Amino acid sequence: MMTRFGLAISKNRKFLPLAATIFLFIIAYSFGAFSYAGMRDPQAFFTLFIITPFLLISAIGETFVVFTGGIDLSVSGVVALTATASAALLQAGVNPWIVFGLMLIMGMTLGAVMGTFIAYLKVHPWIATIAGMWFARGMCYIISDSEIRIYDPLYKLLAGTKILIPGLADVVTKKGAYITPLVVLSMTIFIIALFVAHFTKFGRTIYAIGGNGGANEQSARLMGLPVDRTKILVYTVNGLCSALAGIAYSIYVGSGHGSHATGFEMTVIAAVVIGGTMLTGGEGYMFGTLFGVLTTALIQMIIQFNGKLSSWWTSIAIGVLTLAFIGIQSLLVNINAKKISPTKLTDSDAAARKKKTALYGGIAAVVIIASSLIFYFVDKNAKNTAAANPTPTVTNCQLKPFRNDLAKQFIADGAVITYERNGGMDCIDELSALYPDGRIVSDNGTEKKEKTVTPDQINKVLTDINNMEWFTDNMYSTYHKPCDQCFHYNTTVVYQGKSKTVEAVDGGTDAPSEYWIMSGEITQLVPVFSK
Amino acid sequence: MSESTKSIIVMKDIVKSFPGVHALQGVDFSLNKGEIHALVGENGAGKSTLVKVLTGVEHPDSGTISLDGVEVSIKSPLHAQSLGINPVYQEVNLCPNLTISENILIGRQPMKWGRIDWNTMNAQAKKAMLGLDIDIDVTKVLGSCSVAIQQMTAIARALVISSAKVLILDEPTSSLTQHETAQLFGVMRKLKNEGMGIIFITHFLDQVYDISDQITVLRNGKLVGTYKTASLPKLELITKMIGRTITEFDDMTKLKSDSGHMIKSEPLIELEGIGHSGSIEPFDLQLHSGEVVGLAGLLGSGRTEIAELLFGITKPDSGTMTMDGKVVKNFTPIDSIERAIALCPEDRKKEGIVADLTIRENIILAMQASLGWFKYLRLQEQYTIADKYIKLLNISTPSPDQLVKNLSGGNQQKVILARWLATNPRLLILDEPTRGIDIGAKAEIQKLVLSLAEEGMSCVFISSELEEVLRTSHRIVILRDHKKVTELSGDVTEQQIMKSIAGSE
Amino acid sequence: MKKFLSNFRFKKLVESKIFFPLIALAIILLFDLIVIPGFFKLEMKQGHLYGSFIDVLRNSVPIMILAIGMTLVIATGGIDISVGATMAIASSVACILINPTIIGLKLSQDISSLVGNSTYSFTPLWLVILVPLIVASLCGLWNGVLVTYGKIQPMVATLILMIAGRGIAQLITNAIKIIIFNDTYAYIGNGWIILPFSLYIAAFIFAIAWLITRKTSIGLFIEAVGANSRSSFFAGINAKRVKLFTYVFCGFCAGVAALVVSSSIRTSDANQIGLYMELDAILAVIFGGTSMDGGRFSLLASMIGALVIQATSTSTLALGVPASAIIAVKALVVVIVIILYSQQVQGFLRKIFGTNKQKEVKE
Repeated sequence: MMTRFGLAISKNRKFLPLAATIFLFIIAYSFGAFSYAGMRDPQAFFTLFIITPFLLISAIGETFVVFTGGIDLSVSGVVALTATASAALLQAGVNPWIVFGLMLIMGMTLGAVMGTFIAYLKVHPWIATIAGMWFARGMCYIISDSEIRIYDPLYKLLAGTKILIPGLADVVTKKGAYITPLVVLSMTIFIIALFVAHFTKFGRTIYAIGGNGGANEQSARLMGLPVDRTKILVYTVNGLCSALAGIAYSIYVGSGHGSHATGFEMTVIAAVVIGGTMLTGGEGYMFGTLFGVLTTALIQMIIQFNGKLSSWWTSIAIGVLTLAFIGIQSLLVNINAKKISPTKLTDSDAAARKKKTALYGGIAAVVIIASSLIFYFVDKNAKNTAAANPTPTVTNCQLKPFRNDLAKQFIADGAVITYERNGGMDCIDELSALYPDGRIVSDNGTEKKEKTVTPDQINKVLTDINNMEWFTDNMYSTYHKPCDQCFHYNTTVVYQGKSKTVEAVDGGTDAPSEYWIMSGEITQLVPVFSK
Repeated sequence: MSESTKSIIVMKDIVKSFPGVHALQGVDFSLNKGEIHALVGENGAGKSTLVKVLTGVEHPDSGTISLDGVEVSIKSPLHAQSLGINPVYQEVNLCPNLTISENILIGRQPMKWGRIDWNTMNAQAKKAMLGLDIDIDVTKVLGSCSVAIQQMTAIARALVISSAKVLILDEPTSSLTQHETAQLFGVMRKLKNEGMGIIFITHFLDQVYDISDQITVLRNGKLVGTYKTASLPKLELITKMIGRTITEFDDMTKLKSDSGHMIKSEPLIELEGIGHSGSIEPFDLQLHSGEVVGLAGLLGSGRTEIAELLFGITKPDSGTMTMDGKVVKNFTPIDSIERAIALCPEDRKKEGIVADLTIRENIILAMQASLGWFKYLRLQEQYTIADKYIKLLNISTPSPDQLVKNLSGGNQQKVILARWLATNPRLLILDEPTRGIDIGAKAEIQKLVLSLAEEGMSCVFISSELEEVLRTSHRIVILRDHKKVTELSGDVTEQQIMKSIAGSE
Repeated sequence: MKKFLSNFRFKKLVESKIFFPLIALAIILLFDLIVIPGFFKLEMKQGHLYGSFIDVLRNSVPIMILAIGMTLVIATGGIDISVGATMAIASSVACILINPTIIGLKLSQDISSLVGNSTYSFTPLWLVILVPLIVASLCGLWNGVLVTYGKIQPMVATLILMIAGRGIAQLITNAIKIIIFNDTYAYIGNGWIILPFSLYIAAFIFAIAWLITRKTSIGLFIEAVGANSRSSFFAGINAKRVKLFTYVFCGFCAGVAALVVSSSIRTSDANQIGLYMELDAILAVIFGGTSMDGGRFSLLASMIGALVIQATSTSTLALGVPASAIIAVKALVVVIVIILYSQQVQGFLRKIFGTNKQKEVKE
């Protein structure tokens, strides 16, 4: 029976990494749905797509590059540059459609230049694309030192529109499951990529170039394939995708600045690797990348739903997953290498197959066990330190994750306080940023409000906060599960060179009382959104 | 039919040299339509260079190549392919991550409505493989197929995408089973009957007799001759490949008999039933101090495999090795060095020199490895050692700080030899130590080996040049087809050796 | 002895590894001299030497230290892109040891108030120095094991720590930027003994590395393994152990750099410390002429390479280019270096300066 199982696996061997990725995704999703009511809402699934259009588009381009055995680390720079340049152009009054076109041309040009260096000057892709990334980021700062907000109506429209999904939503009340135009864009690109990878000569040549430790490139040349030309093209295509991702990013985030998307390239590569594509090239499926992206988003979502783990657990989790996948890939390569070597006449076909099945099973088991253990222990730990809250935990409001990226940008832009609260009876999510010159900007996800108070008022709040020992350990975060109608708070304060973020949930007795005083002061200042 | 209409390829007076190596010295070669032509010769004979010239990888220094009576200059591998010359190497130059069908048709995939028509492509590929009498699922990934199938795929591609006139098969049967070899030969005969010219390079002489029509023998860059297979007996072929030529070495016989006194009776190393599956069958062997043991046999008979077992590059699957009466447990290079065993490997470039380092560094490398990280030889001492061996082996260089990559092949070989001599070994294994070295240097090394034996060293001397083996060995072990066949000592003649190598025919 | 001297002269030519970076540095400094008034002006204040040039030296210290470790790794044919993340982890550890109240340790009242005291440290200072170095070396060990025993490609293997490392660093400090009040610790990055103290640290690390690689056989083995791994195997060298050492040492260097950086900014910022520094380090090594494929290396050349990078940044700043845009200039420098080191240009230069390179020796 085992041999038949083994045989079945080896027959469809090429799909194993893809199967592993999808399997992982399903398990993780089931885990999430089981643990958190919020994830059982179909909207949660669509949210995975809504929060990752730029990651997906960028990962698609990167996947093509990785197929050739190369790598492109410039994506984060190009995204930031696209966002910043678009914002600047829009500010200058250029038509958004022209802006789109210009950005795409820019992305392709940068990609083509890098590709030429890699193909003709034989520069290592790592170096060439890092240089590209630096160049792009540098250009951002030359364009503008501070963040440029985007107010263009087309952008707003694309950002704010909800496309309701027939069958899952009620058209009359405009409530229910939805996706956004950016999701349509990213999925369209995905389908185009599937076509290119499988049905075009360009796509097949890409596969032929990569893999086998660089020997494939040699073979491809001897087979008469246009290797150099394809390499240049693939980086150009990725440049296009990065620019496109940058456009999506700027629509999503609503601004442009050189500090945007820092570390983005790592997330992109992690998504590609988790999707089952080997970094050595030549193997992998575009479909895998889709699931790699979704898995990355899923991890983030689960961690935020959990609420007890801070967001940096996301990067650790992604690192562990990447490791697991790379480990599998590397072991596979070693086993295959032993098998194909023409000078050794070993008869270990069946043995190799069995080894592989065992390996997959083993690694999958290890990953699952490790993740469960991590969750278990952190959970236990959190329970011990936080005061137990006996209130039943059924909520009818799905808590959305804090918009930390946006908050960071506000701070980068000069805000001294960012204050976000979500939850409550009406399930709101309001993020406000207070600037030292009295300006207050609030964003509740669909609407933006601005209000001006006097700088003195802002200053008073700051000194009060400081006097309430905000920057000492008397002010700490608490994370217990919120009750019905409870609010969830996330506040960052910057004062005299110090910066600290505190989370809290009301309805409990464990948060320091000073927190509520300070919270009250801030609430009095920020604009009110109509219910 | 006149010669000119029968021949596809005519190569005249091809000369090709690399720094310090005369790879081809005025070689003639011609291939006829509908002919399977075997190209044989030991390593360094010039076979691969000839093929490289024909396939456009290298350009000849002088000489002409004609294709179908028209003189051509083959500029690049792609150009060669477009002319109809297709090589199929042992390491198949295909993409193992793609399917068979893609490997055959990539670059020329049939299109329908602007997209690749996979069904038609697979059908075409299937047809191509069937044309070679192979019925296989062409959607299998190439890497998961046997080497035999991979070769067939390469052949199929050659046939499909270019009007192939010449097929060059370079050592195609090394990794094939008997059945697969028979299959390959069936394909070759079929193609031959369709008018294709096939160049068949192999070291398996039985196969040469099985399939080829003509044989060309190369030796040390020179053409020995072209013969009809049917009229050349095997023994004569072997003689032409490795037999005695007139040399100035006859004074060495005295040297040899003189040195024979130093041979100890107690064996230094005893191998009992040592074997490694797939490369050498279990055998027994004794090595004595003061004795030179020669390993004779054709390429691929298992000589290097024995060397690698002795030195610990490979671990034996069976048997025991005893040294000084104690059983040897660890088989790694560093353990061997610590046991005072040294191996001068066959592949100078890949396993011998570290090209980017200097002569001095290359010479003291193994010695330093055995001393470990912290007992670093003082620079002055390193130079002393380097200078000593530069003088001893007559290495031609202005200084020990020359980068080894700038030396000629012969000098590089001497550097490697110096490296191992510096470790003061008790057993020195030399695998093709004189390959690519000029006559004068060859003699030096052979004399050196004998004098080392006289000083008590045990030596294993491996060479394809029978005359060398005869000249330097006190005892000769004959290998054939991964098996030890017999040992000969005393007054051995070349005839005896070649008869053993040829086997019962 | 005569032979030795002639070899020495020969060696100078061979060691032309520092030739090119030195020329590059000279060009940039010359440019500074012409364009920026008072660039080389040095003044003595309170026993300390000040000046723009000193600033360049001081700011390049972290990269120099990273480059030393990175040189050895690259020389074996590998690479370590996780040094920035390792720096974050090490600095988090150091700061937590000085000021652990942040992680919720319930300290007695009097200790909590001591934290702001400039002489106080929760853990003895020698441990504060030692433990991060050990942690950083362990990070290097992790990388090394993945590469040598896991047989994973170095770029891919070190990618793991690069992704997860900052998360781990934040885990240690609970995502809070810890501020260091301890003056002795801050001395590492801020102190002066005529010249900035950190410069002496860099020199010290260089001396250690030089001793290890040139006074033991490790340097020779690194070059051999990088140049031809298989031949080194046949010569009895244990390539695994050699590579493992280089990764551990690289991690150690990252730890030292972390101490210097976190003490000079007096804080531990898990997000910012060491960000993109691995790129600077790798660039410095390549500048120094060490090939990405491995083989011959020169520690001195890498340090000069680090100086060149820093000098470029500083010079660009002095020209008025906004600080954050400097990386665009760096990118252009990378491009120029790439072109200059590319096979095409090297072949061209070799034809012109044929005398410098060694000719082939025919038998």
